[in-house]
Amino acid sequence: MSAAPFTWDGLRRGARDGMPLGLSIFAYGLGFGLVAAQAGFSVAKAVATSAAIYSGSAQLAAVNLLQTGSATLWMLFATILVINARYILFSAALQPWLGQVSAPKAYASLLLLGDANWMMCMRRIRDGEQDRAYLAGTGVPMLVGWLSGTGLGAGAVSILPEPQALGFDLMLPAFAAAMTAAMVRVRADLVPVVVGAGMALVLSQEIGPAVAIIGAGLAGGAVAALMFRAPA
Amino acid sequence: MIDSFAILLLVMAAAAFLCRVAGFTLMRLVPVSPRIEAALRATPLAVMAGIAVLALQSGGLAEALALTAVVGLTVLIGSDVAAALLGVVIVAALRWAGL
Repeated sequence: MSAAPFTWDGLRRGARDGMPLGLSIFAYGLGFGLVAAQAGFSVAKAVATSAAIYSGSAQLAAVNLLQTGSATLWMLFATILVINARYILFSAALQPWLGQVSAPKAYASLLLLGDANWMMCMRRIRDGEQDRAYLAGTGVPMLVGWLSGTGLGAGAVSILPEPQALGFDLMLPAFAAAMTAAMVRVRADLVPVVVGAGMALVLSQEIGPAVAIIGAGLAGGAVAALMFRAPA
Repeated sequence: MIDSFAILLLVMAAAAFLCRVAGFTLMRLVPVSPRIEAALRATPLAVMAGIAVLALQSGGLAEALALTAVVGLTVLIGSDVAAALLGVVIVAALRWAGL
């Protein structure tokens, strides 16, 4: 088993690369804190929610559901499962790389898995990143940003500018576009890009954005598997 | 209705945790063939393209211009992170200008 490196150096390097992600997540956290406070959450409750779920889209959906006043525990469980189902795909894609270290290290790293640092890690892995602590490293500034942003947003609702005015809602799509552009090296790489984009558009019309992202990933993976030819 | 915030939190945390570890755990049981590896390698590209295109779909001209600039800047300056951050500045400026 643990043949792959998992070092402080990798953690530090990840944390450094994750700084800009942490900054944007901080702004997103402000947004969630704001919504939570408007739904009657105290600062402590809002921060506890952010720590427990650690997923902006799932938390917003959960708060919306709670606001209806008729949410059951099962409804909440199912909602989070559906919205976060993309993480099943994310952690599956990480397994061949992350599975090279012991289970406690791998699972602890997965606790810090988010959309933005997953993208960043998959990109670095493709460039040959060997240190498995890199993933957890990128997660640290994101966790700090998410929790502090939530607390500040919930506590200072009235004095904050709308995160949208600062463009922070476009942060994740901007990272996605940039990393897609950086990761496409050969013409064959364009196939999952086109398939993913097309599938996302169709599914978001038919069902919704959460399913659309999962469908995009599955379709892109399926096409790559079908096109795979063993090197002769 | 749900009376205990602690139970509520626990249930929501369990769902979120399950998603984070399920894929990883399942893949440990499946032998990773080169074909499966190719599929897993293609997944991030498809997901990221999906995220970007959904933002285009729900956004307006400002979002379209900013994301186009991000792709161009990534190629031009060779840093995806810097390009993404510039994209956010661009969309904020365009919105401020009323686009």
